[in-house]
Amino acid sequence: MSTHPKTPDVDNATLEDRLYTVKYEDPGDSHLDVKVPGFCAERCDTDDCVDVCPADVWRKEEGDDVPTIAYENCLECGSCRFACPYNNVEWEYPENGSGVTYRYG
Amino acid sequence: MTTDRETETGGTDSEHDGSAGGLPSDRTASNPNYDGAFDAVVVGAGLAGSAAAVTMAREGLDVLVIERGASPGAKNVFGGVLYTPTIRELVDLDDAPLERYVAEKRFGVLSTEDETAVSLRPGEWHAEPHNDSYTVLRGDFDEWFAEQAVDAGATLVTETTVTGLLRDDDGTVVGVETDRPDGELRAPMVVLAEGGNSLVSEGADLKGRPDRGDVAVAVKEVLEFPDSDDAIADRFRLSDDAGASYHYFGEGAVGDAFGGAFIYTNDDTVSVGLAYRIEDAVTGQPDPERTLDRFKSHPAVAPLVRGGRTIEYAAKTIPEGGADAIPELVHDGAVVVGDAAGLVLNNGVHLEGTNMAVESGYHAGRTVASALADDRTDAAALRAYPESLNESFVVQNLEHYEWLMETVREDRDLLFRDLPRAVADAGEEYFRIDRQPKALHAENAKTRLLRTVGGWRGAAKLAWRYRKVIS
Repeated sequence: MSTHPKTPDVDNATLEDRLYTVKYEDPGDSHLDVKVPGFCAERCDTDDCVDVCPADVWRKEEGDDVPTIAYENCLECGSCRFACPYNNVEWEYPENGSGVTYRYG
Repeated sequence: MTTDRETETGGTDSEHDGSAGGLPSDRTASNPNYDGAFDAVVVGAGLAGSAAAVTMAREGLDVLVIERGASPGAKNVFGGVLYTPTIRELVDLDDAPLERYVAEKRFGVLSTEDETAVSLRPGEWHAEPHNDSYTVLRGDFDEWFAEQAVDAGATLVTETTVTGLLRDDDGTVVGVETDRPDGELRAPMVVLAEGGNSLVSEGADLKGRPDRGDVAVAVKEVLEFPDSDDAIADRFRLSDDAGASYHYFGEGAVGDAFGGAFIYTNDDTVSVGLAYRIEDAVTGQPDPERTLDRFKSHPAVAPLVRGGRTIEYAAKTIPEGGADAIPELVHDGAVVVGDAAGLVLNNGVHLEGTNMAVESGYHAGRTVASALADDRTDAAALRAYPESLNESFVVQNLEHYEWLMETVREDRDLLFRDLPRAVADAGEEYFRIDRQPKALHAENAKTRLLRTVGGWRGAAKLAWRYRKVIS
């Protein structure tokens, strides 16, 4: 007998569905970038930006030198900026009210 | 006095051209020459910004509040409880969009399988003003609070992002740069209320980038229960406007990380989320989204959130560096308030920030008005702001608990993993039903606890180390 035979199932939404709950207006260009690609390529082997991001904005596949940035997913928390040990995240506020809009917050 | 009624009532979908009704006709959207029209510019229409704006407008200043979101609150996220002693002094809360008052606080320690909890439901909390503790949703509340500033005479422009500060030859801040066409705007004072991800303050060297050991990453979901109208009242034992604030610690909440999780009841939704240090997020701990999934599936939590449909997923960073991490708050021509100033208290028992934001905005607003009355904007003339903040609950509380973070960090494995397991095991042992005498179970339970904390001597040391949590 399992310890918790009747723990109810919680249907957690996928990240895609979660992000879909948030209104987003594309600013056209990414508000995120890396300052010096060489830092990511040569110095970084921990990918802290990838590990911290709650929205899967920062992605690094095997063999990538520099993360790709799915800026359209960004919830504008800024955690990547604080996480990067090389201070190598370029972060600007999206312009003119674009980016994420929370209804509840 | 100029008020931007269009923006005030425009909602989120209308076009805002950034122009303020009532200004001279040479100021247009393409040439918004507002230079000198305002006494103070507030960067950000969150709680700190609107508190400062209300205060300054009431003092007779012409105030411009610049918000980058489509409406105030559109870019804001918090856990869910607003503490209102100062807000209630500033504005009439009767019409405020409050969700529920907090009638119960629950503190649960979670091991991977167990919960050990303390719950408080004081009768007094049912009486107004309900211990000044209400769940709110920032999208509603911040918009309403900003409207109070507009009603007091402030001008609000939305969908406008401040990108930098203007300085004169002496380095004094004399206005802001925005992303509007010809978007420079000069004003004697700038109040920086831009929140924890404070790019403008950092870009202008008013503060440094906080260390990742001092910043938490937080994720939150708002859930609704489409299959059960009574889910919230039933599960949290609530009636009428009473609400609950549940806090969770231990490895069942946030794994190996330094942080905690929460559930707050809103009117017809529930906010569920967690926060932990970025320093931990980049090591062994799964990413915030996975950690949230795991928390929601904990045997003690799942019955509270099951059947909930996610209607919003949000993320935020929280400056948790405490008193030592507060940056210089006053500069020539500028003051820093709220999250941008790192004014957040998280000692595990008290999780507060918005009340500190309001308090700082209030003190900053009063100081700016007083300095401008003397025709001064230099940092020396603004010292009354940090001084009054030092004398207020804000800095006093931060300093009182300053020791705690470091101590908890040192004892992390004990407090968040070993002790929760031991307490759950000891409880299980103490209440075990079999044919043994109770005294034997009590002795075994005691032994289990003492072994974990290092005997009586260890227990005494631990009690001494943490005596100030409740003193």
